[in-house]
Amino acid sequence: MAEYELDCLGEACPVPLVKTENKLKELAVGDTLIVIIDHSCALKNVPEWARKQNYDVEVEEIGDGEYEIFIDKTA
Amino acid sequence: MKLTTLSSNKHFQTWFKSPWTYVTGAILLSIFQIATIGSTGGSWGVTGPFATWGAWVYQAFGGSVDHWYFFSTESGQASLQRTFFTDPASVRNLGVIIGALLATLLASQFKFKKIKNLRQVAAAVIGGLLMGYGARIAFGCNIGALYSGISNLSVSGWVFALFMFAGAFIGSKLLVKYFMA
Amino acid sequence: MSEEAVKVITEEPSDASSRIEAEPSSGRSSRRSSRRSAERKPKKDQTIYGLGVLAIVIAVGVYLAAAISAVMGIFWVTGIAFGFILRRTNFCFTASMRDPIMTGSTSLTRAVLIAFAITSIGFAAIQYGAFTTGLPVPGMGFVVPISFATAAGAFMFGIGMVLAGGCASGTLMRIGEGYGMQLLSIVFFVLGSFWAARDMGWWTLNFISNGPRIHLPDVFGWGGAIFVQLLIIGLLYMAADKWENRKQDQES
Repeated sequence: MAEYELDCLGEACPVPLVKTENKLKELAVGDTLIVIIDHSCALKNVPEWARKQNYDVEVEEIGDGEYEIFIDKTA
Repeated sequence: MKLTTLSSNKHFQTWFKSPWTYVTGAILLSIFQIATIGSTGGSWGVTGPFATWGAWVYQAFGGSVDHWYFFSTESGQASLQRTFFTDPASVRNLGVIIGALLATLLASQFKFKKIKNLRQVAAAVIGGLLMGYGARIAFGCNIGALYSGISNLSVSGWVFALFMFAGAFIGSKLLVKYFMA
Repeated sequence: MSEEAVKVITEEPSDASSRIEAEPSSGRSSRRSSRRSAERKPKKDQTIYGLGVLAIVIAVGVYLAAAISAVMGIFWVTGIAFGFILRRTNFCFTASMRDPIMTGSTSLTRAVLIAFAITSIGFAAIQYGAFTTGLPVPGMGFVVPISFATAAGAFMFGIGMVLAGGCASGTLMRIGEGYGMQLLSIVFFVLGSFWAARDMGWWTLNFISNGPRIHLPDVFGWGGAIFVQLLIIGLLYMAADKWENRKQDQES
C-alpha cells in the first residue's frame, strides 16, 4: 500500500498523462499514485484514463489551478 | 455579500467552476458558429489575421510588404490599412483569449505557468512556426480550414483533416522521442 | 461516453482545501487529504478579478459597437463566447487527433465530430435558405482550392500543434489561462504565418491556382451533400468509438 508522488507541475499536455500511465505500470496493486498537475487538460484526461482502467480516482484542488489526482491501483 | 459566498454557491459552481462535458462544448461551439455565420456572413477563423499582424510589426520597423503577392490582393491591401481594433478577426481572437481568462478567473483557476525548460522552448518555437506556415498556405488552421471548412461542406476541409491527422501522428512520435523527459 | 461530470463539494470558505469528489469516498481520502492539507498553500478566491474582467468585457463590447460598428461588437462577443466555452469544456482539437494515437482515447475526437455534424446542419440550413432566395450564400470564402499546399500545410500544422501543445484556438485559450509556453508559441505562429505570406506567390503559382474548389452541394445537391457529410461523420464516429474500446480491451 505504498504511496508515490508524480510531480507534473509545469508540464505541457499530454506529458502528465503519459507519465502517469508509465508510472502506474511500475506500481503494485494496492499502491497509490498522487499526480500533481497544473494543466487543465490533465485535470480531465488523467482521471478519465484512470477510471477507464477501473482504478479509484479522487481529485483535490490544492491551489489556484493546481490539483492532486489520487489514483489507487485497484487491479 | 462576501465574494467567497458567491463562489461557494451551488449554482455558481455548476455554471462557473465544475467542468462541462466535451459534448456540451460541441453543442455550444456549434451554436456560436451558426450565430457567427448568421450575423457576420462568414465562419469562425483564427489564423486569418496573423500574417497581417506580422506585416504591421514589420512595417513599424521600416519594412515593406508592397511587393508581396499575398498583400497585393484587394483583401490583403485592405487588411494593411486596418489597425488591431478595426480588424474584426483580430478583435475576435483577443475575445477568445479574454473569454478563456474570464472563465479561468471565475473558476479561481488562474495560475501563471512559466516555461519549464529548454525543451518546451524548442517545442513552442518549432511548433509555432510549423503551425503558422502550414495554416497560411492551407488557408486556415484547426478552426478556419478544418472546423469551418468541413462545416461549410468543402472537400478542402476533409483533405485538411486527413493530412492534419497524419501530421499529428508524426508529431506524436517526435514528441515522445525528443520532447519528453 | 466515458467521461462523467465532476461534482464539486466546497466546505466553509474558511477551509483552505476543496475536494472534488468523483466516486464514493472509500474513507481513506479524508485521512489523506487532512494530512496533506496541512501542507497546502492558501487558495485565493479569484472571483473578484473575474467580475472585474467581465466589467471590462462589457465595456469594450459597448465601446466597439458604439464607436466602430455593431458587427465589430459581434466579433468581440462571439470571441468571448468561444474562449469561454473552450475553457469551460477544455475542448482541444489537438487532443482530438493526438490522443487516439498517444493514449487511445477518442472522447474529444467524437465530440469534435459532433460539432462538425451540428454546425454543418446549421450552416447548410442558412446557406440553402440564401441560395433558394437568390441571396449571396455566406461562408463560401471557406471553400478553398485543394492542392498540394492544402496537404503540406495541414501536415505541417498537425506536427506543429502536437509539439507546441495546442492548436490555434487552443493556443489562444491557453494564453488566457496563463501559460507562458503558448505566449511564446503564438509569437512564432505569427512569424510562421508572415513567412508563408512572403512565399505565397510561389505556392499560388505552382499549386493553389491549379487547385479545384469542391463544394459538396455542387456534386450531390444540398440534400445529398448533407447526407454524405453526416454519413462520413457517422462512420468516423463509429470508428473512433471502436478504437477507444479496442485500446481498452488491449490494456485490460
